[in-house]
Amino acid sequence: MAGVVLENLSWKKLIILGVFLLVLLITFFLVGGLVAPKPSNVVTVLGTKCYDNGKKLNRSKWFVSRGIHKCEELQNLDPTDEMIVNKSITEKQVVFSFWLPGPRGGEERKMTPLFQNMLAVLQVDIEHSDKVPLSKNPVLQLDVRLGARDEGDDEDDWKQIASSVEDRNLQCTLEKGKGEGYLYDCELLQLFELGSISNHYYLVNIRLPVNFLKGYNVGIGKVVDISIHLIHQNGGFTIVWMSMKSVLFVMVLSLLIWFWRRIMQLGRPPNLLERTLFSLGVVMSILDCPIELLQLGVDIPFMLLLNDIRQGAFYAMLMSFWVIFAGEHIMDQTERNRLSLYWKHLSAIIFGSICLFVFDMCERGIQLKNPFFSIWVTSAGTKLALAFIILAGIAAGCYFLFLCYMIFCVMKNISAKKASLPTMSQLRRKYYLGVIYRFRFLMMATLVCAACTVVFFIMSQLNEGEWRWGDEDLSLEFTSAFFTGVFGMWNIYVCGLLSLYAPSHKTVVEIDSADGSTEENVQLTQLPTTPSETSALQALTSKAAQD
Amino acid sequence: MRTLNSLLIMLILLIWYGEGKKTKLKGIRWWTLANIGKPSNDLRSNTQLYNSPSLLPLTKKQRKLVTKHPGTISALQNGARMAIDECKFQFRNRRWNCPTQDVGNGGPIFGKILDKGNRETAFIYAITSAAVTHSVARACAEGSIYSCSCDYNLKQPSGKDWEWGGCSDNAKFGHKFSRKFVDVLEKGRDFRYMMNLHNNEAGRVHVSKEMKKGCKCHGMSGSCAIKTCWMRLPSFRDVGDRLKDRFDGASQVISGNEGSRILGNRPNTGRKKKRYKSFQFAPVNPNHKKPGRRDLVYFDSSPSYCEKDTSIDFPGTYGRECNATSIGIDGCDLLCCGRGYVSKSYMVRERCSCIFRWCCDVKCEVCTRTKVLHTCK
Repeated sequence: MAGVVLENLSWKKLIILGVFLLVLLITFFLVGGLVAPKPSNVVTVLGTKCYDNGKKLNRSKWFVSRGIHKCEELQNLDPTDEMIVNKSITEKQVVFSFWLPGPRGGEERKMTPLFQNMLAVLQVDIEHSDKVPLSKNPVLQLDVRLGARDEGDDEDDWKQIASSVEDRNLQCTLEKGKGEGYLYDCELLQLFELGSISNHYYLVNIRLPVNFLKGYNVGIGKVVDISIHLIHQNGGFTIVWMSMKSVLFVMVLSLLIWFWRRIMQLGRPPNLLERTLFSLGVVMSILDCPIELLQLGVDIPFMLLLNDIRQGAFYAMLMSFWVIFAGEHIMDQTERNRLSLYWKHLSAIIFGSICLFVFDMCERGIQLKNPFFSIWVTSAGTKLALAFIILAGIAAGCYFLFLCYMIFCVMKNISAKKASLPTMSQLRRKYYLGVIYRFRFLMMATLVCAACTVVFFIMSQLNEGEWRWGDEDLSLEFTSAFFTGVFGMWNIYVCGLLSLYAPSHKTVVEIDSADGSTEENVQLTQLPTTPSETSALQALTSKAAQD
Repeated sequence: MRTLNSLLIMLILLIWYGEGKKTKLKGIRWWTLANIGKPSNDLRSNTQLYNSPSLLPLTKKQRKLVTKHPGTISALQNGARMAIDECKFQFRNRRWNCPTQDVGNGGPIFGKILDKGNRETAFIYAITSAAVTHSVARACAEGSIYSCSCDYNLKQPSGKDWEWGGCSDNAKFGHKFSRKFVDVLEKGRDFRYMMNLHNNEAGRVHVSKEMKKGCKCHGMSGSCAIKTCWMRLPSFRDVGDRLKDRFDGASQVISGNEGSRILGNRPNTGRKKKRYKSFQFAPVNPNHKKPGRRDLVYFDSSPSYCEKDTSIDFPGTYGRECNATSIGIDGCDLLCCGRGYVSKSYMVRERCSCIFRWCCDVKCEVCTRTKVLHTCK
């Protein structure tokens, strides 16, 4: 790749562009921090203990925790309680009922498609009792149903979305010195995940059937309460995020068209680096494309999976781009410009991506069928999931080793070339200086972006949404700012690459004016015929022909 | 100095006795809600409550508040019960064991100890206020109070609602409600009023501070790139434990130099959010630290609780069961105040080697055992 825009840009223009991009970045950061609410919200719903007074176990009946069809409620499940003793209530007759979300401000709150997706986790409150010991590593078996209803529907008309019998491993601890009547500290259990929200109200019914023969729910101790923490994306965040994505989509797409037209004007087939850069732009615009907006009208349950794939594709493409960019800047005498040269690196990336893809399909793919599914609950599933993740990690490690080696080679060659620069002719020196400058610029930009991402990530992990800057009147929602800021930053990174590393038209003119034509011919023949230089020559000749 | 202090306290007490005698126990009658309907699954008692709100042992303001937020009444009832149970649990081994009286409608359930301003009084106020916070927050989570406030998370211009930014934690409403409901009773400007308000607030703050954080990762492929955290309500036992710790370290105070409350509008920052009234208390022992927001304060010294004391309706430790082997406060030596104890062995038939089956089935054998009971003389 000869003569990119970057080399021929005056400092002034470069600084203007840099400032423009920086302002853009700060805008994204502030939009996230000031306009958007925090990315997701949690609704905690405590289960109502319903009494199923039917003689036979009726799994098709819904138990509703409030409203006109409210079930008969049990205040407590103590074995000594009068009503429980009198009616000899058994565990089969106890249903934990959850109406999601809860009422607030005097009215029932509704879920909206703006929330995009929801994830429910279960918190089981188990009271310590010497009479009712908690066995070691007990398995909680949940007989769970998920139903949904819209606001206008009949109050009784709950439609079943999913139903399943699920096992979850309970991991509970009790602080030392605490005895009878204290609650165990139990780890949260995943209940379900829905990729789309198309109803207003959701109803969860959970039973904990005991089976002594098979050992289900036997050693689970004295379960006193179950609550659900429902996590959903905030509507405001969705709106801000979608608007931002739309803007970025248009920006990247128009730059991409400009970039491609520029290459077309060259009159030569695009070289590898240009093609890679173009692909990166394409993947970025696919990621930017706000297809989530469709969810507002259509029910798309596979959106979570699709988003994961889009994001994964972007990471893979970005990593491929780095390795190809570094490879194309090794200033040795080998013939490059071929994808096959990078098979080692690319296969590491592809292998890692496939591992993660398979893992994601196992988790989110199966969740499309059964939202209660989680690969982590069974030990075999955990091993499988860990195996995929470890394999992907190894692939990523290999990739980084290759990349580091490549960068090391480039650095070595740069210093070698630098030493011999003064002895070179002007054109040759200009060529090498250009290569070095291009490489260093990208290296710096990449490092800055990566460092920013890491720093922001750590900051957002440290304060977990509690981060507030300034007064109550001017609070900055840091987590949202982190998401919009980092997403905006990588978009700007790609935009910057597309605009600065596009082939320049200026080069040739400058060479023409600066050097005598006779000298130029001599110099050109002396140049090593690396692919990028042949393209320079092509550019030169095509430009000359145009002139 | 000490004489001066005690003089001051006596003076304050005198003033208080003079003006507050008539109304002083009216407001805390809501505690008797605990007696209406025993904690069972029998639903009838609750519906009865709804049907006849005029019977409620509440003040006018409280009744207004309860009517404004339907559903809170059973939460309050629950809270009163929780507070009493917790108080009894925390003090089961002490000389003062949180005795309650089964009085009819309207009487103070904890007895005349509330006339005093000692440690135990402080604890009662704190634990009841904490219990209201806790049980109202719990009822919000259960969805039984429709009018729990949303308090949108972001202080944004109007038009932003639940769909935009979600609602705040349930505990926030519990805290606010408890403040409105419990503190409304403490009128006047005397020292007791300040002490009660402080202890009420301390109880509530303990509920908020004991909340535990729960987190869940839900980023790309379930990674921790996105992590959402929330606070979950502590078990009331934990709150009771903390309050008991504070009871043990409660500070005896006199009114601070200013003697009156300071409204916590921070003068410089111009924050909109009002900080709750905080009072200036000076510890009686000048070497002690000033009591903080979570500390319990009192001004009367507690009696030994050994002998019968009619002024606080305390029967003394006569006949109390004690632990002969313990050297702690539950041991017979301390509990019986050196009067000695009577040991009696008796046969008991009790349930043993029980098999529990969730949720509510216990199969036990009946065993006969010999036990020794020690009671104070």
